[in-house]
Amino acid sequence: MSAIFKRELKSYFSSPIGYVCVAAILFLYGLFYYMVMMNRVSDLIGNYVFGSMFSFGMMVIPIITMRSLSEDRKNKTDQALLTAPVSVTGIVWGKFLAAFGVYFIATTLALLPAIVIGFYASPSWGLIFGNYLGSLLYGAAMISIGVFLSSLTESQIIAAITTFGVSIILLMIDSLASSAGAFMAEVVSWISFQTRYSPFTTGIFDVSSIVFFLSVVAIFNFVTARRLESRRWS
Amino acid sequence: MIEVRNLTKRYGVNTALDHVSFSVEEGSIVGFLGPNGAGKSTTMNIVTGYLSASEGEVTVGGHSILEEPSEVKKMIGYLPEQPPLYMDMTVREYLDFMYKLKKVTLPKEKHIREICALVKITEVYDRLIANLSKGYKQRVGIAQALLGNPPVLILDEPTVGLDPKQIIEIRNLIKNLGKNHTVILSSHILPEVQAVCERVIVINRGKIVADGTPDQLGHDLTTDHRMIIRIEGPEREIAAGLKNVNNVTDVQILGEKEPGVFEYSVEGPEGKDIRRDLFAFCSRKGAPLLAMRSTDLTLEEVFLHLTDESYMNRVKTRKPVPKADETAKGGESA
Repeated sequence: MSAIFKRELKSYFSSPIGYVCVAAILFLYGLFYYMVMMNRVSDLIGNYVFGSMFSFGMMVIPIITMRSLSEDRKNKTDQALLTAPVSVTGIVWGKFLAAFGVYFIATTLALLPAIVIGFYASPSWGLIFGNYLGSLLYGAAMISIGVFLSSLTESQIIAAITTFGVSIILLMIDSLASSAGAFMAEVVSWISFQTRYSPFTTGIFDVSSIVFFLSVVAIFNFVTARRLESRRWS
Repeated sequence: MIEVRNLTKRYGVNTALDHVSFSVEEGSIVGFLGPNGAGKSTTMNIVTGYLSASEGEVTVGGHSILEEPSEVKKMIGYLPEQPPLYMDMTVREYLDFMYKLKKVTLPKEKHIREICALVKITEVYDRLIANLSKGYKQRVGIAQALLGNPPVLILDEPTVGLDPKQIIEIRNLIKNLGKNHTVILSSHILPEVQAVCERVIVINRGKIVADGTPDQLGHDLTTDHRMIIRIEGPEREIAAGLKNVNNVTDVQILGEKEPGVFEYSVEGPEGKDIRRDLFAFCSRKGAPLLAMRSTDLTLEEVFLHLTDESYMNRVKTRKPVPKADETAKGGESA
Protein backbone atom coordinates (compact mmCIF):
# COMPACT_ATOMS: atom_id res chain seq x y z
CA MET A 1 0.00 0.00 0.00
CA SER A 2 2.71 2.49 0.93
CA ALA A 3 4.55 1.87 -2.36
CA ILE A 4 1.39 2.65 -4.32
CA PHE A 5 0.64 5.67 -2.17
CA LYS A 6 4.09 7.12 -2.69
CA ARG A 7 4.11 6.47 -6.39
CA GLU A 8 0.68 7.99 -6.91
CA LEU A 9 1.36 11.08 -4.85
CA LYS A 10 4.61 11.60 -6.72
CA SER A 11 2.88 11.11 -10.03
CA TYR A 12 0.32 13.80 -9.18
CA PHE A 13 3.17 16.23 -8.90
CA SER A 14 5.18 14.97 -11.86
CA SER A 15 2.28 16.00 -14.06
CA PRO A 16 0.56 19.39 -13.88
CA ILE A 17 -2.62 17.93 -12.35
CA GLY A 18 -1.41 18.05 -8.75
CA TYR A 19 -0.10 21.58 -9.05
CA VAL A 20 -3.17 22.82 -10.90
CA CYS A 21 -5.54 21.37 -8.31
CA VAL A 22 -3.55 22.70 -5.38
CA ALA A 23 -3.22 26.08 -7.08
CA ALA A 24 -6.93 26.25 -7.89
CA ILE A 25 -7.92 25.44 -4.33
CA LEU A 26 -5.39 27.88 -2.90
CA PHE A 27 -6.45 30.61 -5.30
CA LEU A 28 -10.08 30.30 -4.24
CA TYR A 29 -9.15 30.18 -0.58
CA GLY A 30 -7.02 33.26 -1.14
CA LEU A 31 -9.90 35.04 -2.80
CA PHE A 32 -12.25 34.43 0.10
CA TYR A 33 -9.60 35.30 2.68
CA TYR A 34 -9.09 38.55 0.80
CA MET A 35 -12.81 39.30 0.95
CA VAL A 36 -12.82 38.59 4.69
CA MET A 37 -9.83 40.87 5.15
CA MET A 38 -11.60 43.64 3.32
CA ASN A 39 -14.50 43.24 5.71
CA ARG A 40 -12.06 43.34 8.63
CA VAL A 41 -13.94 40.67 10.53
CA SER A 42 -11.72 37.77 11.46
CA ASP A 43 -14.63 35.73 12.82
CA LEU A 44 -15.91 35.33 9.30
CA ILE A 45 -12.96 33.14 8.41
CA GLY A 46 -14.78 30.07 9.60
CA ASN A 47 -18.18 30.65 8.12
CA TYR A 48 -17.39 32.65 5.08
CA VAL A 49 -14.07 31.29 3.81
CA PHE A 50 -14.57 27.63 4.57
CA GLY A 51 -18.32 27.74 3.96
CA SER A 52 -17.78 29.00 0.43
CA MET A 53 -14.94 26.61 -0.14
CA PHE A 54 -17.23 23.66 0.52
CA SER A 55 -18.72 24.02 -2.95
CA PHE A 56 -15.42 24.68 -4.67
CA GLY A 57 -13.65 21.84 -2.92
CA MET A 58 -16.34 19.50 -4.15
CA MET A 59 -15.74 20.79 -7.68
CA VAL A 60 -11.97 20.36 -7.71
CA ILE A 61 -12.01 16.84 -6.28
CA PRO A 62 -13.27 15.17 -9.52
CA ILE A 63 -10.14 16.47 -11.23
CA ILE A 64 -7.95 14.95 -8.55
CA THR A 65 -9.61 11.54 -8.59
CA MET A 66 -10.37 11.12 -12.29
CA ARG A 67 -7.13 9.40 -13.19
CA SER A 68 -6.83 7.35 -10.05
CA LEU A 69 -7.84 3.90 -11.28
CA SER A 70 -9.00 4.60 -14.82
CA GLU A 71 -5.51 5.44 -16.01
CA ASP A 72 -4.09 2.20 -14.66
CA ARG A 73 -6.70 0.26 -16.47
CA LYS A 74 -6.14 2.08 -19.72
CA ASN A 75 -2.35 1.75 -19.63
CA LYS A 76 -2.60 -1.84 -18.42
CA THR A 77 -0.45 -0.98 -15.44
CA ASP A 78 -3.18 -2.56 -13.33
CA GLN A 79 -1.66 -5.85 -14.46
CA ALA A 80 1.44 -5.02 -12.48
CA LEU A 81 -0.58 -4.05 -9.43
CA LEU A 82 -2.98 -6.98 -9.52
CA THR A 83 -0.30 -9.60 -10.13
CA ALA A 84 1.89 -8.25 -7.35
CA PRO A 85 1.59 -9.71 -3.87
CA VAL A 86 -0.59 -6.86 -2.60
CA SER A 87 -4.26 -7.07 -1.70
CA VAL A 88 -6.88 -5.24 -3.73
CA THR A 89 -7.81 -3.36 -0.57
CA GLY A 90 -4.21 -2.19 -0.28
CA ILE A 91 -4.27 -0.94 -3.86
CA VAL A 92 -7.49 1.00 -3.32
CA TRP A 93 -6.34 2.58 -0.06
CA GLY A 94 -3.01 3.52 -1.64
CA LYS A 95 -4.83 5.24 -4.48
CA PHE A 96 -7.30 6.88 -2.13
CA LEU A 97 -4.66 8.18 0.25
CA ALA A 98 -2.61 9.64 -2.61
CA ALA A 99 -5.60 11.56 -3.98
CA PHE A 100 -6.43 12.63 -0.45
CA GLY A 101 -2.80 13.68 -0.02
CA VAL A 102 -3.15 16.24 -2.80
CA TYR A 103 -6.31 17.60 -1.22
CA PHE A 104 -4.70 17.54 2.21
CA ILE A 105 -1.73 19.57 0.99
CA ALA A 106 -4.00 22.18 -0.58
CA THR A 107 -6.30 22.45 2.43
CA THR A 108 -3.43 22.60 4.89
CA LEU A 109 -1.64 25.29 2.90
CA ALA A 110 -4.91 27.23 2.99
CA LEU A 111 -4.36 27.66 6.74
CA LEU A 112 -1.38 29.93 6.03
CA PRO A 113 -3.47 33.08 5.50
CA ALA A 114 -5.28 32.35 8.73
CA ILE A 115 -1.95 32.10 10.53
CA VAL A 116 -0.84 35.38 8.99
CA ILE A 117 -4.10 36.96 10.12
CA GLY A 118 -3.37 35.54 13.55
CA PHE A 119 -0.37 37.86 13.87
CA TYR A 120 -2.53 40.94 13.51
CA ALA A 121 -5.86 39.89 14.90
CA SER A 122 -7.27 37.12 17.05
CA PRO A 123 -9.36 34.81 14.91
CA SER A 124 -11.31 32.07 16.62
CA TRP A 125 -8.89 29.17 16.27
CA GLY A 126 -11.44 26.61 17.39
CA LEU A 127 -13.65 27.66 14.55
CA ILE A 128 -10.83 27.55 12.03
CA PHE A 129 -9.62 24.13 13.02
CA GLY A 130 -13.19 22.87 13.17
CA ASN A 131 -13.60 23.98 9.59
CA TYR A 132 -10.24 22.59 8.60
CA LEU A 133 -11.12 19.18 10.00
CA GLY A 134 -14.56 19.34 8.39
CA SER A 135 -13.05 20.18 5.02
CA LEU A 136 -10.70 17.25 5.25
CA LEU A 137 -13.54 14.91 6.20
CA TYR A 138 -16.00 15.80 3.46
CA GLY A 139 -13.08 15.95 1.05
CA ALA A 140 -12.07 12.43 2.02
CA ALA A 141 -15.63 11.20 1.55
CA MET A 142 -15.91 12.85 -1.86
CA ILE A 143 -12.50 11.49 -2.90
CA SER A 144 -13.52 7.93 -2.03
CA ILE A 145 -16.59 8.39 -4.24
CA GLY A 146 -14.39 9.79 -7.02
CA VAL A 147 -11.93 6.91 -6.77
CA PHE A 148 -14.83 4.49 -6.97
CA LEU A 149 -16.22 6.15 -10.08
CA SER A 150 -12.80 6.10 -11.70
CA SER A 151 -12.67 2.35 -11.12
CA LEU A 152 -15.74 1.93 -13.30
CA THR A 153 -14.27 3.28 -16.48
CA GLU A 154 -11.13 3.47 -18.59
CA SER A 155 -11.85 7.06 -19.49
CA GLN A 156 -10.64 9.85 -17.24
CA ILE A 157 -13.19 12.21 -18.78
CA ILE A 158 -16.11 9.96 -17.89
CA ALA A 159 -14.71 9.50 -14.39
CA ALA A 160 -14.36 13.26 -13.95
CA ILE A 161 -17.81 14.08 -15.30
CA THR A 162 -19.65 11.46 -13.28
CA THR A 163 -17.83 12.51 -10.11
CA PHE A 164 -18.65 16.09 -10.96
CA GLY A 165 -22.30 15.11 -11.36
CA VAL A 166 -22.28 13.46 -7.95
CA SER A 167 -20.73 16.61 -6.43
CA ILE A 168 -23.44 18.76 -7.91
CA ILE A 169 -26.17 16.44 -6.68
CA LEU A 170 -24.63 16.49 -3.22
CA LEU A 171 -24.47 20.27 -3.32
CA MET A 172 -28.07 20.68 -4.42
CA ILE A 173 -29.61 17.82 -2.55
CA ASP A 174 -30.72 19.95 0.42
CA SER A 175 -32.63 22.51 -1.58
CA LEU A 176 -34.15 19.79 -3.74
CA ALA A 177 -35.24 17.74 -0.75
CA SER A 178 -36.96 20.63 1.03
CA SER A 179 -39.41 20.82 -1.85
CA ALA A 180 -40.06 17.09 -1.75
CA GLY A 181 -41.79 16.94 1.63
CA ALA A 182 -40.77 16.63 5.23
CA PHE A 183 -39.96 12.94 5.13
CA MET A 184 -37.59 13.29 2.19
CA ALA A 185 -35.99 16.30 3.82
CA GLU A 186 -35.36 14.18 6.89
CA VAL A 187 -33.79 11.37 4.89
CA VAL A 188 -31.69 13.69 2.78
CA SER A 189 -30.45 15.71 5.73
CA TRP A 190 -29.05 12.47 7.05
CA ILE A 191 -26.95 11.79 3.96
CA SER A 192 -26.32 15.40 2.95
CA PHE A 193 -22.68 16.38 3.07
CA GLN A 194 -23.70 19.97 3.63
CA THR A 195 -25.81 19.18 6.69
CA ARG A 196 -23.07 16.98 8.05
CA TYR A 197 -20.49 19.65 7.44
CA SER A 198 -22.39 22.55 9.00
CA PRO A 199 -21.58 21.70 12.64
CA PHE A 200 -17.88 22.12 11.81
CA THR A 201 -18.45 25.63 10.43
CA THR A 202 -19.60 26.66 13.89
CA GLY A 203 -16.62 25.02 15.53
CA ILE A 204 -18.47 21.99 16.84
CA PHE A 205 -16.66 18.64 16.65
CA ASP A 206 -19.72 16.60 15.90
CA VAL A 207 -18.80 12.97 16.45
CA SER A 208 -21.72 11.63 14.44
CA SER A 209 -20.61 13.71 11.44
CA ILE A 210 -17.04 12.50 11.81
CA VAL A 211 -18.28 8.93 11.93
CA PHE A 212 -20.53 9.61 8.95
CA PHE A 213 -17.76 10.89 6.70
CA LEU A 214 -15.34 8.18 7.75
CA SER A 215 -18.02 5.59 7.09
CA VAL A 216 -18.56 6.95 3.59
CA VAL A 217 -14.82 6.60 3.00
CA ALA A 218 -14.76 3.05 4.34
CA ILE A 219 -17.83 1.97 2.40
CA PHE A 220 -16.74 3.42 -0.92
CA ASN A 221 -13.21 2.11 -0.62
CA PHE A 222 -14.66 -1.29 0.17
CA VAL A 223 -16.96 -1.13 -2.85
CA THR A 224 -14.06 -0.02 -5.06
CA ALA A 225 -12.00 -2.98 -3.89
CA ARG A 226 -14.89 -5.32 -4.68
CA ARG A 227 -15.21 -3.66 -8.05
CA LEU A 228 -11.55 -4.34 -8.89
CA GLU A 229 -11.99 -7.88 -7.69
CA SER A 230 -15.12 -8.40 -9.77
CA ARG A 231 -13.36 -7.26 -12.92
CA ARG A 232 -11.28 -10.39 -12.76
CA TRP A 233 -14.42 -12.48 -13.06
CA SER A 234 -16.08 -10.63 -15.91
CA MET B 1 5.72 -26.53 -10.44
CA ILE B 2 2.69 -25.27 -12.30
CA GLU B 3 -0.45 -27.37 -12.44
CA VAL B 4 -3.34 -26.28 -14.60
CA ARG B 5 -6.44 -28.43 -14.50
CA ASN B 6 -9.55 -28.03 -16.63
CA LEU B 7 -9.13 -24.33 -17.00
CA THR B 8 -12.14 -22.72 -18.62
CA LYS B 9 -12.75 -19.04 -19.17
CA ARG B 10 -15.93 -17.66 -20.61
CA TYR B 11 -16.58 -14.11 -21.62
CA GLY B 12 -20.35 -14.02 -21.88
CA VAL B 13 -21.15 -16.50 -24.59
CA ASN B 14 -17.59 -16.67 -25.88
CA THR B 15 -15.39 -19.39 -24.54
CA ALA B 16 -11.82 -18.16 -24.48
CA LEU B 17 -10.43 -21.28 -22.85
CA ASP B 18 -12.04 -24.66 -22.97
CA HIS B 19 -10.92 -27.18 -20.35
CA VAL B 20 -7.21 -26.61 -20.73
CA SER B 21 -4.97 -28.83 -18.64
CA PHE B 22 -1.21 -29.02 -18.52
CA SER B 23 1.57 -29.09 -16.04
CA VAL B 24 5.03 -27.63 -16.12
CA GLU B 25 7.92 -29.19 -14.24
CA GLU B 26 10.40 -27.14 -12.32
CA GLY B 27 13.23 -25.74 -14.40
CA SER B 28 11.75 -26.23 -17.83
CA ILE B 29 11.05 -23.70 -20.54
CA VAL B 30 7.65 -24.12 -22.08
CA GLY B 31 6.42 -22.26 -25.12
CA PHE B 32 2.82 -21.37 -25.74
CA LEU B 33 2.14 -21.26 -29.39
CA GLY B 34 -1.01 -20.22 -31.09
CA PRO B 35 -2.52 -17.75 -33.49
CA ASN B 36 -3.77 -14.43 -32.21
CA GLY B 37 -6.79 -14.83 -29.98
CA ALA B 38 -6.09 -18.48 -29.28
CA GLY B 39 -6.12 -18.02 -25.51
CA LYS B 40 -2.42 -17.70 -24.74
CA SER B 41 -2.68 -14.41 -22.90
CA THR B 42 -5.85 -15.46 -21.13
CA THR B 43 -4.12 -18.56 -19.79
CA MET B 44 -1.20 -16.49 -18.58
CA ASN B 45 -3.46 -13.92 -17.01
CA ILE B 46 -5.25 -16.63 -15.09
CA VAL B 47 -2.06 -18.34 -13.93
CA THR B 48 -0.72 -15.01 -12.65
CA GLY B 49 -3.97 -14.17 -10.89
CA TYR B 50 -4.89 -11.18 -13.01
CA LEU B 51 -8.04 -12.89 -14.22
CA SER B 52 -10.09 -15.58 -12.59
CA ALA B 53 -11.08 -18.75 -14.33
CA SER B 54 -14.74 -19.63 -14.85
CA GLU B 55 -13.84 -23.20 -14.02
CA GLY B 56 -10.75 -25.16 -13.20
CA GLU B 57 -7.82 -24.85 -10.93
CA VAL B 58 -4.32 -23.46 -11.01
CA THR B 59 -1.63 -24.25 -8.49
CA VAL B 60 1.88 -22.88 -8.52
CA GLY B 61 4.42 -24.57 -6.27
CA GLY B 62 1.55 -26.29 -4.48
CA HIS B 63 -0.32 -23.07 -3.71
CA SER B 64 -3.71 -22.46 -5.24
CA ILE B 65 -4.09 -19.11 -6.94
CA LEU B 66 -7.58 -18.78 -5.50
CA GLU B 67 -6.82 -19.68 -1.93
CA GLU B 68 -3.34 -18.24 -1.49
CA PRO B 69 -3.03 -15.56 -4.16
CA SER B 70 -0.22 -13.69 -2.40
CA GLU B 71 1.92 -16.81 -2.10
CA VAL B 72 1.50 -17.55 -5.78
CA LYS B 73 2.06 -13.97 -6.88
CA LYS B 74 5.31 -13.81 -4.92
CA MET B 75 6.59 -16.79 -6.90
CA ILE B 76 5.78 -15.39 -10.31
CA GLY B 77 7.47 -12.72 -12.39
CA TYR B 78 5.06 -11.67 -15.09
CA LEU B 79 5.58 -9.74 -18.28
CA PRO B 80 2.15 -9.10 -19.77
CA GLU B 81 1.56 -8.57 -23.47
CA GLN B 82 1.80 -4.83 -22.95
CA PRO B 83 4.51 -4.14 -20.38
CA PRO B 84 2.85 -2.48 -17.38
CA LEU B 85 4.98 0.65 -17.35
CA TYR B 86 4.24 3.99 -15.80
CA MET B 87 5.16 6.50 -18.46
CA ASP B 88 5.69 9.33 -16.01
CA MET B 89 8.49 7.59 -14.15
CA THR B 90 12.15 7.09 -14.90
CA VAL B 91 13.43 3.54 -15.18
CA ARG B 92 15.06 3.93 -11.78
CA GLU B 93 11.87 5.14 -10.12
CA TYR B 94 9.80 2.47 -11.79
CA LEU B 95 12.05 -0.43 -10.80
CA ASP B 96 12.24 1.04 -7.32
CA PHE B 97 8.47 1.10 -7.16
CA MET B 98 8.08 -2.43 -8.47
CA TYR B 99 10.73 -3.59 -6.02
CA LYS B 100 8.65 -2.26 -3.14
CA LEU B 101 5.36 -3.37 -4.64
CA LYS B 102 6.64 -6.93 -4.94
CA LYS B 103 8.00 -6.81 -1.41
CA VAL B 104 11.40 -8.00 -2.56
CA THR B 105 13.87 -8.58 0.24
CA LEU B 106 17.11 -8.88 -1.73
CA PRO B 107 19.59 -5.99 -1.28
CA LYS B 108 17.93 -3.32 -3.36
CA GLU B 109 20.65 -1.31 -5.10
CA LYS B 110 22.71 -4.35 -5.99
CA HIS B 111 19.74 -6.43 -7.13
CA ILE B 112 18.33 -3.73 -9.40
CA ARG B 113 21.78 -3.00 -10.82
CA GLU B 114 22.29 -6.66 -11.64
CA ILE B 115 18.98 -6.94 -13.43
CA CYS B 116 19.62 -3.77 -15.41
CA ALA B 117 22.96 -5.14 -16.53
CA LEU B 118 21.31 -8.45 -17.42
CA VAL B 119 18.69 -6.94 -19.73
CA LYS B 120 21.03 -4.11 -20.78
CA ILE B 121 19.07 -1.07 -19.70
CA THR B 122 21.78 0.48 -17.55
CA GLU B 123 22.34 3.26 -20.09
CA VAL B 124 18.70 4.40 -19.91
CA TYR B 125 18.47 4.00 -16.15
CA ASP B 126 17.71 7.65 -15.49
CA ARG B 127 15.52 8.32 -18.47
CA LEU B 128 11.78 8.78 -18.49
CA ILE B 129 10.05 5.59 -19.60
CA ALA B 130 7.76 7.58 -21.91
CA ASN B 131 10.80 8.60 -23.95
CA LEU B 132 12.20 5.10 -24.42
CA SER B 133 11.95 3.15 -27.66
CA LYS B 134 9.70 0.12 -27.82
CA GLY B 135 12.64 -2.25 -27.45
CA TYR B 136 13.83 -0.55 -24.28
CA LYS B 137 10.31 -0.46 -22.87
CA GLN B 138 10.04 -4.17 -23.50
CA ARG B 139 13.31 -4.74 -21.69
CA VAL B 140 12.24 -2.64 -18.74
CA GLY B 141 9.16 -4.88 -18.68
CA ILE B 142 11.39 -7.94 -18.56
CA ALA B 143 13.51 -6.35 -15.84
CA GLN B 144 10.38 -5.78 -13.82
CA ALA B 145 9.45 -9.45 -14.14
CA LEU B 146 12.89 -10.50 -12.95
CA LEU B 147 12.75 -8.41 -9.78
CA GLY B 148 12.97 -10.55 -6.69
CA ASN B 149 14.28 -13.53 -8.61
CA PRO B 150 10.94 -15.34 -8.74
CA PRO B 151 11.17 -19.09 -9.38
CA VAL B 152 8.53 -18.86 -12.12
CA LEU B 153 8.69 -16.48 -15.05
CA ILE B 154 5.72 -15.93 -17.29
CA LEU B 155 6.53 -13.92 -20.38
CA ASP B 156 3.87 -12.96 -22.87
CA GLU B 157 5.56 -12.39 -26.21
CA PRO B 158 8.83 -11.22 -24.68
CA THR B 159 10.61 -10.35 -27.91
CA VAL B 160 7.93 -8.21 -29.51
CA GLY B 161 9.29 -4.91 -30.73
CA LEU B 162 12.94 -5.82 -30.41
CA ASP B 163 15.46 -5.66 -33.24
CA PRO B 164 17.04 -8.91 -34.45
CA LYS B 165 20.16 -8.46 -32.35
CA GLN B 166 18.13 -7.80 -29.22
CA ILE B 167 15.86 -10.72 -30.00
CA ILE B 168 18.85 -13.04 -29.99
CA GLU B 169 20.09 -11.49 -26.76
CA ILE B 170 16.74 -11.85 -25.05
CA ARG B 171 16.37 -15.43 -26.28
CA ASN B 172 19.75 -16.28 -24.86
CA LEU B 173 18.80 -14.52 -21.67
CA ILE B 174 15.62 -16.57 -21.39
CA LYS B 175 17.56 -19.75 -22.10
CA ASN B 176 19.96 -18.89 -19.31
CA LEU B 177 17.13 -18.02 -16.98
CA GLY B 178 15.60 -21.38 -17.80
CA LYS B 179 18.51 -23.07 -16.05
CA ASN B 180 17.25 -22.05 -12.65
CA HIS B 181 13.75 -20.76 -13.32
CA THR B 182 10.59 -22.27 -14.63
CA VAL B 183 9.68 -20.28 -17.69
CA ILE B 184 6.49 -20.09 -19.70
CA LEU B 185 6.63 -17.88 -22.72
CA SER B 186 4.13 -17.28 -25.42
CA SER B 187 4.82 -16.45 -28.96
CA HIS B 188 3.45 -16.73 -32.40
CA ILE B 189 6.93 -16.68 -33.79
CA LEU B 190 7.82 -20.29 -34.40
CA PRO B 191 11.59 -20.16 -34.75
CA GLU B 192 11.64 -18.43 -31.41
CA VAL B 193 9.83 -21.22 -29.68
CA GLN B 194 11.98 -23.72 -31.48
CA ALA B 195 15.15 -21.95 -30.42
CA VAL B 196 14.27 -21.41 -26.80
CA CYS B 197 11.75 -23.93 -25.58
CA GLU B 198 12.18 -27.50 -24.49
CA ARG B 199 8.50 -28.08 -24.85
CA VAL B 200 5.76 -26.55 -26.92
CA ILE B 201 2.08 -26.36 -26.15
CA VAL B 202 0.04 -25.40 -29.15
CA ILE B 203 -3.25 -23.68 -28.38
CA ASN B 204 -5.96 -22.97 -30.84
CA ARG B 205 -9.37 -21.58 -30.10
CA GLY B 206 -9.01 -22.13 -26.40
CA LYS B 207 -7.94 -25.74 -26.68
CA ILE B 208 -4.62 -27.50 -26.50
CA VAL B 209 -4.06 -29.14 -29.84
CA ALA B 210 -0.51 -30.36 -29.36
CA ASP B 211 2.01 -30.77 -26.60
CA GLY B 212 5.57 -32.00 -26.97
CA THR B 213 9.12 -31.07 -27.78
CA PRO B 214 9.60 -29.05 -30.96
CA ASP B 215 11.35 -32.00 -32.65
CA GLN B 216 8.74 -34.45 -31.53
CA LEU B 217 5.94 -32.33 -32.92
CA GLY B 218 7.71 -32.08 -36.24
CA HIS B 219 8.52 -35.74 -36.31
CA ASP B 220 5.16 -37.10 -35.22
CA LEU B 221 3.38 -35.34 -37.96
CA THR B 222 5.88 -36.44 -40.55
CA THR B 223 4.32 -38.55 -43.21
CA ASP B 224 5.74 -40.81 -45.87
CA HIS B 225 3.50 -39.29 -48.42
CA ARG B 226 5.76 -36.34 -49.12
CA MET B 227 9.24 -36.94 -50.40
CA ILE B 228 12.08 -34.81 -51.63
CA ILE B 229 13.81 -36.56 -54.50
CA ARG B 230 16.82 -35.74 -56.63
CA ILE B 231 16.85 -37.06 -60.17
CA GLU B 232 19.33 -36.54 -62.98
CA GLY B 233 17.80 -35.59 -66.28
CA PRO B 234 15.79 -32.96 -68.12
CA GLU B 235 13.77 -30.96 -65.67
CA ARG B 236 10.44 -30.45 -67.43
CA GLU B 237 10.20 -33.92 -68.86
CA ILE B 238 10.81 -35.59 -65.53
CA ALA B 239 8.46 -33.28 -63.70
CA ALA B 240 5.73 -34.06 -66.21
CA GLY B 241 6.48 -37.76 -65.88
CA LEU B 242 6.35 -37.61 -62.10
CA LYS B 243 2.90 -36.11 -62.25
CA ASN B 244 1.67 -39.19 -64.04
CA VAL B 245 3.09 -41.63 -61.52
CA ASN B 246 0.54 -43.62 -59.55
CA ASN B 247 -0.72 -41.84 -56.43
CA VAL B 248 1.25 -38.65 -56.99
CA THR B 249 -0.91 -35.60 -56.40
CA ASP B 250 1.54 -32.77 -56.49
CA VAL B 251 5.00 -32.14 -57.87
CA GLN B 252 7.09 -29.09 -57.24
CA ILE B 253 10.43 -28.36 -58.83
CA LEU B 254 12.89 -27.17 -56.21
CA GLY B 255 15.59 -26.20 -58.70
CA GLU B 256 18.90 -27.44 -60.00
CA LYS B 257 21.05 -28.71 -57.16
CA GLU B 258 23.97 -30.16 -59.14
CA PRO B 259 24.73 -29.75 -62.82
CA GLY B 260 21.92 -31.54 -64.62
CA VAL B 261 20.41 -32.79 -61.37
CA PHE B 262 17.12 -31.38 -60.20
CA GLU B 263 15.29 -31.66 -56.95
CA TYR B 264 11.57 -32.23 -56.72
CA SER B 265 9.08 -32.28 -53.93
CA VAL B 266 6.53 -35.01 -54.58
CA GLU B 267 3.36 -35.42 -52.62
CA GLY B 268 0.97 -38.31 -52.57
CA PRO B 269 -2.30 -38.95 -50.80
CA GLU B 270 -2.12 -38.97 -47.03
CA GLY B 271 -1.18 -42.29 -45.50
CA LYS B 272 0.13 -43.66 -48.78
CA ASP B 273 3.74 -44.67 -49.24
CA ILE B 274 4.84 -43.46 -52.67
CA ARG B 275 8.51 -44.38 -52.49
CA ARG B 276 8.20 -47.59 -54.53
CA ASP B 277 6.18 -45.90 -57.21
CA LEU B 278 8.83 -43.22 -57.51
CA PHE B 279 11.60 -45.76 -57.78
CA ALA B 280 9.70 -47.68 -60.42
CA PHE B 281 9.23 -44.51 -62.40
CA CYS B 282 12.91 -43.69 -62.34
CA SER B 283 14.03 -47.10 -63.37
CA ARG B 284 11.47 -47.17 -66.18
CA LYS B 285 12.66 -43.77 -67.32
CA GLY B 286 16.34 -44.74 -66.96
CA ALA B 287 16.89 -41.58 -64.99
CA PRO B 288 19.33 -42.01 -62.10
CA LEU B 289 17.64 -41.47 -58.76
CA LEU B 290 20.31 -39.75 -56.69
CA ALA B 291 18.49 -39.01 -53.43
CA MET B 292 15.19 -39.53 -51.74
CA ARG B 293 14.23 -38.34 -48.28
CA SER B 294 11.02 -37.83 -46.41
CA THR B 295 10.32 -34.34 -45.17
CA ASP B 296 10.19 -33.70 -41.50
CA LEU B 297 7.62 -31.00 -41.11
CA THR B 298 9.04 -27.78 -39.82
CA LEU B 299 7.41 -26.43 -36.72
CA GLU B 300 5.84 -23.83 -38.91
CA GLU B 301 4.05 -26.46 -40.92
CA VAL B 302 3.06 -28.37 -37.81
CA PHE B 303 1.59 -25.18 -36.47
CA LEU B 304 -0.35 -24.45 -39.61
CA HIS B 305 -1.58 -28.00 -39.70
CA LEU B 306 -2.66 -27.97 -36.10
CA THR B 307 -4.39 -24.65 -36.21
CA ASP B 308 -6.04 -25.19 -39.55
CA GLU B 309 -9.60 -26.21 -38.88
CA SER B 310 -10.08 -28.24 -42.04
CA TYR B 311 -6.94 -30.19 -41.34
CA MET B 312 -8.13 -31.06 -37.88
CA ASN B 313 -11.41 -32.26 -39.26
CA ARG B 314 -9.64 -34.47 -41.76
CA VAL B 315 -7.54 -35.89 -38.99
CA LYS B 316 -10.61 -36.62 -36.95
CA THR B 317 -12.59 -38.31 -39.66
CA ARG B 318 -9.86 -40.15 -41.44
CA LYS B 319 -7.19 -41.47 -39.21
CA PRO B 320 -5.53 -40.57 -35.97
CA VAL B 321 -2.20 -38.92 -36.63
CA PRO B 322 0.36 -40.33 -34.20
CA LYS B 323 1.20 -37.57 -31.80
CA ALA B 324 2.25 -37.13 -28.21
CA ASP B 325 -0.18 -38.39 -25.58
CA GLU B 326 -1.82 -35.13 -24.76
CA THR B 327 -1.89 -34.16 -28.39
CA ALA B 328 -4.07 -37.07 -29.25
CA LYS B 329 -6.48 -36.00 -26.53
CA GLY B 330 -6.53 -32.47 -27.87
CA GLY B 331 -6.89 -33.71 -31.41
CA GLU B 332 -9.89 -35.84 -30.61
CA SER B 333 -11.72 -33.14 -28.82
CA ALA B 334 -11.02 -30.55 -31.49
